[in-house]
Amino acid sequence: MEGSVLVIGGGIAGIQTSLDLTELGFKVYLVEKTPSIGGRMAQLDKTFPTNDCSLCILAPKMVEVGRNPNIELMTYHEVLEIAGEAGNFTVKILKKPRYVDESKCKGCGDCASKCPKIEVPRLFDMNLGKRKSIYIPFPQAVPPVYVIDPELCLKITKGVCGVCQKVCKADAIDYEQKPIEFEIKVGAIVVATGFDMYGEELSKRWGYQYENVVNALEYERILCASGPYEGHVLRPSDKEEPRNIAFIQCAGSRDRQEDVPYCSSVCCMYTAKEAIITKEHSENSECYVFRHDLRAYGKNFYEYTQRAQDEYGVTYFQTKISKIIEDSKTNDLVIHYENLQTGKIETFKANLVVLASPLVPKKDSKELAKILGIELDKYGFFKEQSYYNKSKASKKGIFLSGFAQGPMDIPETVAGSSGVASEIATLLSSEKFSNTEEKIIETPEKEVKPSDEPRIGVLICHCGINIGKYVDVPKVVEKINKLPNVTHCEDNMYSCSSDSQERIKEMIKEYNLNRFIVASCTPRTHEPLFQETCEEAGLNKYLFEMVNIRDQCSWVHMKEKEAATQKAEDLIRMAVSKARLLKPQNEENLKIEPSALVIGGGISGMTAALNIANQGFEVHLVEKEEELGGILNNLYELFPNEDKASDFLVENIEKVENHKKIKTYLHSKIKDIKGYIGNYNISLSTLDNDKLELKVGTIIVATGAQELKPEGNFLYSDENPKIMTQLELEQKLTKDGDKWLKDIKRITTILCVNSRQKEGITYCSNICCSVALKNIRILKEMKPNLEMIVLYRDLQMAKKEFEDFYRERRQDAMFIRYSLNNLPSIEKKNNNYHINVINTNLQQELEFDTDLIILTTPLIPEDNMDELAKMLKVPLDGTGFFLEAHVKLRPLDFATDGIFLCGCAQWPKNIQDSISQANGAAGRASRFLSAGEITTSGLISEVNEALCIGCGKCEEVCPYQAVELREIEKTFEDITISIKKSYVNSALCKGCGTCGATCPVGAISVKHYDFDQIGVMIDSYLLEKTQAE
Amino acid sequence: MSKSKSKEIIKEFEPELLVFCCNWCSYAGADLAGVSRFQYPPNIRIIRVMCSGRVDPSFVLKALKDGADGVLISGCHIGDCHYISGNEYTRDRFDRLHSIIIQQLGIDPKRVRLEWVSASEGKRFAEVITEFTNEIKELGPLKLQ
Repeated sequence: MEGSVLVIGGGIAGIQTSLDLTELGFKVYLVEKTPSIGGRMAQLDKTFPTNDCSLCILAPKMVEVGRNPNIELMTYHEVLEIAGEAGNFTVKILKKPRYVDESKCKGCGDCASKCPKIEVPRLFDMNLGKRKSIYIPFPQAVPPVYVIDPELCLKITKGVCGVCQKVCKADAIDYEQKPIEFEIKVGAIVVATGFDMYGEELSKRWGYQYENVVNALEYERILCASGPYEGHVLRPSDKEEPRNIAFIQCAGSRDRQEDVPYCSSVCCMYTAKEAIITKEHSENSECYVFRHDLRAYGKNFYEYTQRAQDEYGVTYFQTKISKIIEDSKTNDLVIHYENLQTGKIETFKANLVVLASPLVPKKDSKELAKILGIELDKYGFFKEQSYYNKSKASKKGIFLSGFAQGPMDIPETVAGSSGVASEIATLLSSEKFSNTEEKIIETPEKEVKPSDEPRIGVLICHCGINIGKYVDVPKVVEKINKLPNVTHCEDNMYSCSSDSQERIKEMIKEYNLNRFIVASCTPRTHEPLFQETCEEAGLNKYLFEMVNIRDQCSWVHMKEKEAATQKAEDLIRMAVSKARLLKPQNEENLKIEPSALVIGGGISGMTAALNIANQGFEVHLVEKEEELGGILNNLYELFPNEDKASDFLVENIEKVENHKKIKTYLHSKIKDIKGYIGNYNISLSTLDNDKLELKVGTIIVATGAQELKPEGNFLYSDENPKIMTQLELEQKLTKDGDKWLKDIKRITTILCVNSRQKEGITYCSNICCSVALKNIRILKEMKPNLEMIVLYRDLQMAKKEFEDFYRERRQDAMFIRYSLNNLPSIEKKNNNYHINVINTNLQQELEFDTDLIILTTPLIPEDNMDELAKMLKVPLDGTGFFLEAHVKLRPLDFATDGIFLCGCAQWPKNIQDSISQANGAAGRASRFLSAGEITTSGLISEVNEALCIGCGKCEEVCPYQAVELREIEKTFEDITISIKKSYVNSALCKGCGTCGATCPVGAISVKHYDFDQIGVMIDSYLLEKTQAE
Repeated sequence: MSKSKSKEIIKEFEPELLVFCCNWCSYAGADLAGVSRFQYPPNIRIIRVMCSGRVDPSFVLKALKDGADGVLISGCHIGDCHYISGNEYTRDRFDRLHSIIIQQLGIDPKRVRLEWVSASEGKRFAEVITEFTNEIKELGPLKLQ
């Protein structure tokens, strides 16, 4: 078996899978077709529902991939063939010619600035912006390497020009590059190829052929500050600011005529986001959303769409679009539609139309499926092995991450990707760390004492001409060489090249340096490289300092050489003053107890436990009830597969009970949790032991959720046994079968009972619609002549096969839409109930009798979760579910390292997603278990105990629970008193420094950014300059 | 010689401005301004901190005392903080700094500014710096009483 994995696709799915895989002990080959990783997420302006800047949160992950020694990044590569089987695949890969040598290109961009101005549309900007024939896909591309478009390049097509080769100081241009084929061996393969968005594929009635009709991805680029219009909301035809912007929902999705029968799942939400951002960017614009069902079913999603309307003044219409036609004089658009609230045909004039057009499988999915020998589903997405495990493809050893499997949003993609990584970890568990490399630095670290005189070396980079042309580098070298403690300063062409690393090491040795400074580009990309070089020369990496004189100096002052030179000198002098005070810092290794605690024995908890146990670690599974299974114990059949819930449950419980590595504690309760990542002490009360002590390295919270009982609402009470909740119906079906249905002719299902309200429970509970429709199918099958009526507000059937299921149910039941303002009313009659409801689609009042009423209520958090949250020191959100570290990119983590989250404890979700999250949480947790230890950062806070007054302000502001007040005993002569002092847990501290700025007496400070170090930089800039002159 | 000296005398006031940028958003936004070659006045010097939450009010006071004509603190937009909530403390602290200390010292509040700049707002970073520099130029050199 091989300890390496091929990941196909470099979007967020591929990135997350790759990063998690390396931490679990595998080598990754990440193949990306385009010249950079980043995928669709890099193209987005913001992300819902927090309006996070998309690239800001993605870019650090991209950089991490770029410099991870165990990820071999193969951008501009393609997969040609595979052979072999799970554990042992041989893959043939094509390296396409970039005509630029990756090992030499510094990404400076001199080539593109001189390349003749023949331009073609830039794909990254959805063809709205332009690029030249030598280009980088986008400024933050990883790797930051240019590529030549061979169809546009004059040298390659006509043999003339060649200017890029002349201007490239790094000698990186190579017009002779040819395609190269080679083979790699891997144990598993991950397909993470993402999606395309329809544009011209749409039928003409959507109007995409007109210039001022754009699809939503094009609109993301328009909104983006680094997009083609620099974030100004302009329309393509005349670059004027549009006043009326129409957002068209379901523009081709849920539409069999467009051959997209499924719901694209994310459009309702990104449309609300795009409308909000539009209103923020241009005050005079008006946003109109032409909607169908409003599908906003994630955490804070429904509330977000309400905010778009209430706070931002976005207008929503419930409509059916017939066609969009351009007014050829003004290039405005006329939308013809049926207003579903009045039933009338109306028109609307917009200056710009944004289509939420279908998100479809990647164009080359068929080809890739053929190469890999895996199946596609009826929609063209990669087919999962079973509904319950969406991460496995139809062939063993091949896995699916993200949108390639079907529509999903970013957090679901990220959770699923972590799940894929951990499933691979169980498949290849014997090969962990067999193919990875850990960089071992052989040079012993030189001791640097605070009393040693600083001997500072400075290297100033020309970056070709990128710095040298705008900053007088030799003059700066001369000035810096005169500064006290600067032992040696010199300049060079490219500080990042490998020969420069050798030169740095030589300098450190030759001049016996104990501090080193490089003044070149940005530390965000290059600091780790130079730090490593310093370490190789025996210098502690915290004795290195970097100065940014390119991105933040020469590139932004290109017409002011004198001022840029002065600025570069100032910045370097400031760094020199800081360098004098730099101290070597230690990175501690902390041992991790190789076992896990899983709280909650439902399907999420059982899945997580099995996954971790299958990786060979001990698991303690704690369940408060007398049996495993959680909410599944009350279900009858499972959606959408008609499998008996009990069969599915028994199968899983058997696996858990038979696993040697899992210890199950039923009827047990957590009493206390102490410790931190790697070293938790858990106190349990179990059936036979009131105080059982466990030691674990990591904790997974899988406590589930419960169904709300709508006491007093819609006549729900013990007196009305024929008004029941969905879960009560399922329990009845399990217990009594179909006999009791004999006397029942008409059943009415009411959706959104107690959910999506203005007050109280404001959220959409995600799964209730599918539960209701599942039960309609079951009832209809039991008794085909039953009359079924569904009273609904919006149907949330957003997954790929759900829409078809809903479409079939429309044959089984009559669907009547009601609104929150006009709730249905129920009156009790002799043997049945009388319902009165206003059908908002036709604005007509309906009255009818019904024999049975099923109330569809939301899932709410389990009881006493605040108690558990307090013990774990993790937060709950406003609705009482657990709050993850980051709603987009860390859906399974808590901000506190070492504790993870999955299933309905985080948010109501179905079995498929619970399983996917549980595997993901298991993977996140077992990264630490696999490594056996964690390395703490040297960049953490430290407390000066003599100054600390024990006020606890630092503890209050720390977002990671890394600072706490501890009682310590102080003895003065014969008196001993106990006083409180602040203490920093190095395993948890992230080094943000908020505690330091909060401390009223300056007793706590971040290492490497301490008061003196920042203070001397300020002095150096403002006071030393005049001295020098 | 005398010519260049007289030139110096009529030379426009060039303020000395200090900028604190958080590593994750604003420093990246400043980098993007560079990558995109958006030009702005060369009057600022950036000090990188991991989080805007690290910026102690004493740093701002020290800079003003040392002769800076203005100080800008820049971090992630509220909600975007890499450290969850650091920038919220920055905001609160900044409000206090503004309302109490600056007014007590009689310093024009325009000289100390807080701006949220994201990693994709290179253009905005350049605009903020341009605007800030021009504003301080108009105010003239800071003279502490």
